[in-house]
Amino acid sequence: MTNTLKAPAVGAAINRVEGKLKVMGMAKYATEFSVENKVYAQGINSTIAKGEIIAIDTSEAEALAGVLAVITHKNAEKLNHFEEEMPLLATTTIAPVLQSPKVNYYGEYVGVVVAETFEQAQYAARLVKIEYKEDSDPTIQFDESKSKAIKPKGNSDYLRGDMEAGLAEADETLDATYITPIEHHHPMELHAIIASWDNGKVTAYSSQQMVNESTIAIADTFQIPKKDVRVITPFVGGGFGSKLNTERHVTLAIMASKMLARPVQMTVTRHQMFTNTGMRQHNAQRMQLGAKRDGSLTALSHDTLSHTSTYQEYQEPCGMISKMLYKVPNNQITYRLIPMNFQTPFAMRAPGEATGSFALESAMDEMAWKLKMDPVAFRIKNDTQIDLGADKPFSSRLLIECLRIGADKFGWENRPMQPRSKQEGNWHVGYGVSAASRKSPYLKSSAKVLLKLENEKVYATVQMDATDIGTGSYTIIAQTAAEYLGIPVEQVTVELGDSKFPITPGSGGSWGATSYCNGARAACQSAIATLKKNKNIGEDQEITVAKLLKQNKLEKFEAEGTAVPSEAFKEHSVFSFGANFSEVWVDKYTWMYRIKRMVNVGAAGTILNPKTAYGQIIGGLTMGVGMVLSEQTRVEPNFGNFITRSFADYHVPVSLDMANVEVIFLPEEDKIANEMGMKGIGELGITSVAASVANAIFNATGKRMRELPITPEKLIEAPVEPGVLA
Amino acid sequence: MRPFTYTGAKNTAEALQAASSNANAHYLGGGTNLIDLMKEDVERPDELIEVASLDYKKITSNENGGLTLGGMLNNSETANHRDIRTHYPLLSMAMLSAATGQLRNMATNGGNLLQRTRCPYFYETSMPCNKRVPGTGCGAIKGMNALHAIFGWSEDCVAVHPSDMCVALAAIGAKVEVRHPNGSSRMVEFTDFHRLPGDRPEKDSNLLPGELITGIHLPKPIFSAHYYYLKVRERSSYAFALVSVAAGLQIQGGMITKAGLAMGGVAHKPWKLVQAENYLAGKMPNQANFEAASELAMNEARPLEGNKYKVEMGKKSIVSALTQAYERKA
Amino acid sequence: MGELEKRKKNTGSDNLTEDEKKIFDQLGLKNGASRRKFLKLVSSASLSVYASSYATSPLFANTAKDLPHHQRVMLNEVKVNLRVNDRLKPLTLDSRTSLLDTLREHLALTGTKKGCDHGQCGACTVLVDGKRKLSCLTLAATCEDREITTIEGLADGNEPNAMQQAFLKHDGFQCGYCTSGQICSSVALLEEAKNGEASYVTEDFRKIETNLRLSEEEIRERMSGNICRCGVYNNIVQAFKEVHSGNDEMPSWEFATKEQMKKAKNS
Repeated sequence: MTNTLKAPAVGAAINRVEGKLKVMGMAKYATEFSVENKVYAQGINSTIAKGEIIAIDTSEAEALAGVLAVITHKNAEKLNHFEEEMPLLATTTIAPVLQSPKVNYYGEYVGVVVAETFEQAQYAARLVKIEYKEDSDPTIQFDESKSKAIKPKGNSDYLRGDMEAGLAEADETLDATYITPIEHHHPMELHAIIASWDNGKVTAYSSQQMVNESTIAIADTFQIPKKDVRVITPFVGGGFGSKLNTERHVTLAIMASKMLARPVQMTVTRHQMFTNTGMRQHNAQRMQLGAKRDGSLTALSHDTLSHTSTYQEYQEPCGMISKMLYKVPNNQITYRLIPMNFQTPFAMRAPGEATGSFALESAMDEMAWKLKMDPVAFRIKNDTQIDLGADKPFSSRLLIECLRIGADKFGWENRPMQPRSKQEGNWHVGYGVSAASRKSPYLKSSAKVLLKLENEKVYATVQMDATDIGTGSYTIIAQTAAEYLGIPVEQVTVELGDSKFPITPGSGGSWGATSYCNGARAACQSAIATLKKNKNIGEDQEITVAKLLKQNKLEKFEAEGTAVPSEAFKEHSVFSFGANFSEVWVDKYTWMYRIKRMVNVGAAGTILNPKTAYGQIIGGLTMGVGMVLSEQTRVEPNFGNFITRSFADYHVPVSLDMANVEVIFLPEEDKIANEMGMKGIGELGITSVAASVANAIFNATGKRMRELPITPEKLIEAPVEPGVLA
Repeated sequence: MRPFTYTGAKNTAEALQAASSNANAHYLGGGTNLIDLMKEDVERPDELIEVASLDYKKITSNENGGLTLGGMLNNSETANHRDIRTHYPLLSMAMLSAATGQLRNMATNGGNLLQRTRCPYFYETSMPCNKRVPGTGCGAIKGMNALHAIFGWSEDCVAVHPSDMCVALAAIGAKVEVRHPNGSSRMVEFTDFHRLPGDRPEKDSNLLPGELITGIHLPKPIFSAHYYYLKVRERSSYAFALVSVAAGLQIQGGMITKAGLAMGGVAHKPWKLVQAENYLAGKMPNQANFEAASELAMNEARPLEGNKYKVEMGKKSIVSALTQAYERKA
Repeated sequence: MGELEKRKKNTGSDNLTEDEKKIFDQLGLKNGASRRKFLKLVSSASLSVYASSYATSPLFANTAKDLPHHQRVMLNEVKVNLRVNDRLKPLTLDSRTSLLDTLREHLALTGTKKGCDHGQCGACTVLVDGKRKLSCLTLAATCEDREITTIEGLADGNEPNAMQQAFLKHDGFQCGYCTSGQICSSVALLEEAKNGEASYVTEDFRKIETNLRLSEEEIRERMSGNICRCGVYNNIVQAFKEVHSGNDEMPSWEFATKEQMKKAKNS
């Protein structure tokens, strides 16, 4: 068999290369490695929102058979601490735990029990008695604490033009506030680790999205050299942002392993998944829009009030989308944060865009209704090819094409302009649309490629510290290597999720595919270039990699490569765009509703593998359905705990909630974005669901729902908007 | 989970004997609720007596001309039994609205009656709850009570019963057969089986210590032509009801001769709407009468701060369930 | 013969290098049969996902193998003869041990996943006497005389079964963590449809037939006990349909045509 030079590997809808392991139950996640002598840890959480531990009685727990240690602030080792007040939370931030008797939020770790068996650890954790002195004034109620809001340190406020003037020249204005609740990521795999401390060196089989950042966080927390930390995470059972950071269970497990000189396995409970991780915080987004009769926007402001913890700062960039999506001369973006007694929020799928687009795209629908304009036409009217917020052109922007092609496919022309006028039996029927956009970053990324010539065939192994959190990294990296080496994808092996491999930015922020694949490309190109150079073969000369190895008299060869964004990338704004159309049926009696169908159009550059890309889009859409339908973490007003404390109260969508979806990709190659022409697609889907469904509900019922989730109990009590015929 | 001894009872006598000799023992049926609550440290038995394998796994004819459901038969087999689907489709529909295929394959009929509330204050051991620890107070009444009772609650407890099966049983009418540790049997009217919280919310039912549910006796086949179980919830499946309605109608010559109507998600027990049932008997099955019945049903509703929506939702759901039951092709 | 082929041929034998043996130990594959099975499963693209990553792990080189086990004191021991995937395993367990933890922590059958441990997600679904049940709410002690089938027992030898193949083809998973439960649930659902079982969305409960051809709505309702947070329900429905009804249409993605693009730009 001969190697073809240009195997069309990129763009093919191949099955996932690791798929067989997953469907056979053979893929190994963090705690599934067989480690001898491992013991089990169970965390203990505070049961007050603010105050101090004044007494701990561990005697009953310690007396239990099998219990090896109970660690609290009294006997925990001293770890690195924050130097400044209210530091910004980032993916390399240290995760100290059990360092003082102070309690900052309900559910904060106050101890950990280690025992020989899982059952023993779980039980013993219940027997540790902790006495608190409670502070009388915890900040736990968002609406009552608005006066405590601060301006975030990373000041993101922005103004162009003059808002007042813009509103004054408008024919129609809108002033509305949109509320989104606390949400939790809830990947199916619980946060889990097997940690081992061995002579100052740490090995962590830990479910993480970002391997390199995790080694930094662990090293800094324990104040050991980064080279002594090994993080291994070949399979990650979902992340959605919750595994970007190195959370405190990691510190607890490593600390326990150090103390006991045994490997420690720790899996947080589903209940603890509400407090062990970040979360999408509660936002109140006030939108003011002004528009001329012809539909041109004159003013747009987006003022976000959110919360952070009392010890760290995180700001979800909700207003980002209002800065760049439409052509509007007068534009104001502000952020305020209430420090509250909850853990620090952190990125959840499409932070900023998912919530920001609900506010902006609902407000656009409201304004279109005021102007008696078609919502698709209104958006097209305000399209811009320049990112006015960044003062840069977009690398490519096919939003108008997304809207028009989607409208055609969906049958948008059948949407009644008059809300509450289409019925089927006992159902109100409505159509809604939302634009979608998501920043598509590209970060420095390295890879190593190992080539081996065997029986005339070249086998390649690509190594990167990248992760596959379900996004398809293994598959698209294999396709990339096959493409750039000109060998069949079956001859490519991909090894990921190990800190001993070359550094990548990890999975998050829609940069994974772009950064990983360009990193793999760079390594392959570097290998070929070196092999050619050694034999004075011209760069442009076509030759198979097998022949190259032979001419070099090599059976094995390895090379590294690093991809970095170009100058052109930096001079442009790089975003993926899309549009989502929803048809919603609302039961007139119960006000339960079903999303009957959706059409989603996406323009995200080169599609590396339509099968996995489609999965990313419908995955985003499904999580978006959860966001609009049912997901919310409720805060108990007297105690400050999350009262939605399990999968039985925090309702993520199930199969029956999901609609039929038609997904259309636009043929696009964005060479400004990067050499392979691709853009991010993992978060694009979620950014357009909530508004398109809320807008469809308005079209169906005349009820304007400005607070997520939109539940039957809210719908039944909501009034029909003035001007809608009831 | 607290340590417990595991007793695999070979027969009923052994099970009853074990229960009578240990006040902290608990029968283990399908485990779908009990094991969950033990992991949560809410239930703390020191002995589990496995009864799911006892020989009450059949559906048999009974003295009323109806059928008796074995206490240990699982929910899937009960709901899918040919005779239940044919003669009591309202029961099948309610049972199949509950939980998931996996859970219904595990849950027993007796255990279904003994499901405990989903009130989060009951589940979270760090919060007060009179049902879990008598005397600690009710967290929900002054806290978050959107999912709580609008009928029959007390200052001590506003929790609701979570079962769907029981709502249908309340509409259909049934008797529960229980065995006492002393070996005797008794029959309990279904409406008397569960209780209102009063000042003893820790007691969900009128079952005596050590009693074991062995069967559920159904009346003669009923509502087999006109039935509907409506379940309003925050997602379309795998969720407990905000409000549910079991509606059954017997219609002869265009007239309602008998109505069975009960609600779930509104009270500490399955809430039988006796006034509305009586009102509908002898009336025409039409929108006006359904609406009048729903008004009657909701007359005595006493919503809490957070669940006022349940009154309107309850009314609308009753009308919808009755309409769908009536319009079903006979 | 390539190295991979050599490895496939020589699995479980003494021909393995020390590193390779170590990998197998870490994966919990102790005997030749399970090693052979594993190697036949993996493509070249996935084998070395394991191979080089773990062989040199200091963790395993340094685990204290000689620590005493006397602390593994067990309260309320129960003895259970557990029949899993056609093999009988006599076990002595803490009475509290769930079937799920027994599979994962005592039998190294980690294909069955812990997603919530409270019966609220379906990730731990296994077949008990052919019926789908949740292993997290099942005490191992109640499983004597039961026939338990996990994801590892579904394949026909080394070949994925039809449902597993359909999930692969239709991309019915992403992160893979709910997948074992989804597949076990799907396999059981095929039987339930054959037996004519009803669901909440069934039109008429009194109409009893066997060999049901489930509508999409029926499939979705009956698969709603298995949560997929990655959100690939549509692909899972497609995979199930292919096995259930032979309908193998692929998911509905398409690329806009040149004409569509032109029209959209110019209108």
